[in-house]
Amino acid sequence: MESNSVSDESPAISVRNVTKTFRRPKAAHGVNALDGVSFDIRANSFVSIVGPSGCGKTTLLRMLNGLIRPDSGDVLVDGAVPTPGPHMGFVFQSFRLMPWRTIRSNVAFTLEVHGVGAKECAEKADYYLNMVGLRRFAHSYPAELSGGMKQCAALARALIGQPRYLLMDEPLANLDAQTSEFMQIELMKIWRKHRGVVVLVTHSVDEAVLLSDQIILMNPRPGRVAEILDVKLPHPRWSYDARATPEFIAMRAYLWSRIKRMVASDPESEFYLRDEAIVGETAAIQG
Amino acid sequence: MATGNIQSGGILGGAAGQGGRTSRLQLGTLHAATFLLFLVVWWILSITVGHGFLPSPQDTAKAAVKMFGDGSLEAATLQSFFSLFCGFLLAVIVAIPVGMAMGGIAIVGAVLNPYVDALSSMPRIAFLPLIIVFLGLGYEAKIFMVFLGAVMPILINTYAGVRHSDGELIEMARSAGAGDADIFRKIVLPGALPHIMTGLRVGASLALINTVVAELYTAVSGLGGLLSIYGNSFRMAPYFVIVAILAGMGMLLMYGIRLIEKRVMRWRIERS
Repeated sequence: MESNSVSDESPAISVRNVTKTFRRPKAAHGVNALDGVSFDIRANSFVSIVGPSGCGKTTLLRMLNGLIRPDSGDVLVDGAVPTPGPHMGFVFQSFRLMPWRTIRSNVAFTLEVHGVGAKECAEKADYYLNMVGLRRFAHSYPAELSGGMKQCAALARALIGQPRYLLMDEPLANLDAQTSEFMQIELMKIWRKHRGVVVLVTHSVDEAVLLSDQIILMNPRPGRVAEILDVKLPHPRWSYDARATPEFIAMRAYLWSRIKRMVASDPESEFYLRDEAIVGETAAIQG
Repeated sequence: MATGNIQSGGILGGAAGQGGRTSRLQLGTLHAATFLLFLVVWWILSITVGHGFLPSPQDTAKAAVKMFGDGSLEAATLQSFFSLFCGFLLAVIVAIPVGMAMGGIAIVGAVLNPYVDALSSMPRIAFLPLIIVFLGLGYEAKIFMVFLGAVMPILINTYAGVRHSDGELIEMARSAGAGDADIFRKIVLPGALPHIMTGLRVGASLALINTVVAELYTAVSGLGGLLSIYGNSFRMAPYFVIVAILAGMGMLLMYGIRLIEKRVMRWRIERS
């Protein structure tokens, strides 16, 4: 890894003891989305947050962006409380393109709301559309594009702000398996070129291991950090069959067994106690 | 955009033409055939019930030629169009900003909503005596009556469009650092446009109805006035000419709104 500058010592993102509870309209007590979450993210690293549904990973991502604030604890990005903006690219699972705008105009939105002139907007939008391979769709409307192309456009909209932080909330979950594999390669290449910190929230253990330097595994209800793992596979990972390496297979198997155990022992999951072997094991561990 | 083919409107339009598309020629032929059938049915009916009640198409056409000749029709059409245009414009100018304010500022919506409900479900003609007392029998009363008919549907639809704005897109804009003004202008308003257009369409047809109603009940003038004169004296052929002109005005109005709709919502039309 081409690590640069002093920021390797001081973390780019620092999350300390963060708690967040969402009030439910008709329930006596709220949902404990996050409970005492702490971790650091190094500069120029690709980090994935994985864990079963209800572990608060999406909430956490919105906090890193500054869209929501913690009830207690601190979220610091570059040593300051984060605020939304072009320096914080956000890619959503549901693309979120404006159907009434052309692809170019959708991509330029990030700059447009910060007073950048029309000409510069169009030029930069074309540059980033080119980067994600959508240059010839600049004048198309979102309805005319496939899911993968829409997500590429959304990625270009995030990149156009030249963000130092790219936050992605299950960006590939709405795509078919093949498209999402190609998008993974695309992501690796763009990150390689663009650098900065990428925080990826994903359900897919494969995706996390393939793309990340570091994986933050989270527990559901309440959302807590279960374990932080380093992925030591050499970059660039598209240049060889990373999925076939023993490290990949071992890490994938380990994460998957942890998540299976979490789900089977979560009373609110639809798969609660569905796997007797796991439940027996869990009971034995818990004594 | 259009390449000589028009998308047939229905979801089950697959039978006509190839792949659910009807060519312009086919559509034109169908329109002509339907209109011819309409004339034939009209003609048969006029023979069966007698010319005294229902004039034949030929008599109606003759009456139209005569009425256009002496200029009475043009004047009446112009008068009606004036009331319709002013009333509708006034309704748009009032309804869209108020609807936006109600949708954009929660407290304004909550406070005004009961009045909107009350006014929109109330027959507007109930206000007519009141309007006559305050505004007399002239254009002011007619324009106000048209305004009353059109304002509510436009307002309610604008309100609904703004209120049901896409929360996901708003969050996207916030994450990009957009302020409230930008979010309203660039996300909420364009998202509400389809609703606003629906409101305009419903409002326009109610405006036309109220134009005629106002002309019938206030100082007799315009097309509505002619309608009452010919109707009361059982001159059915000229009466039918007026009915046909009103139908034509309605069609023209809808066509104009559809043109605007196509212009502002190009993105809705799938280009293949």
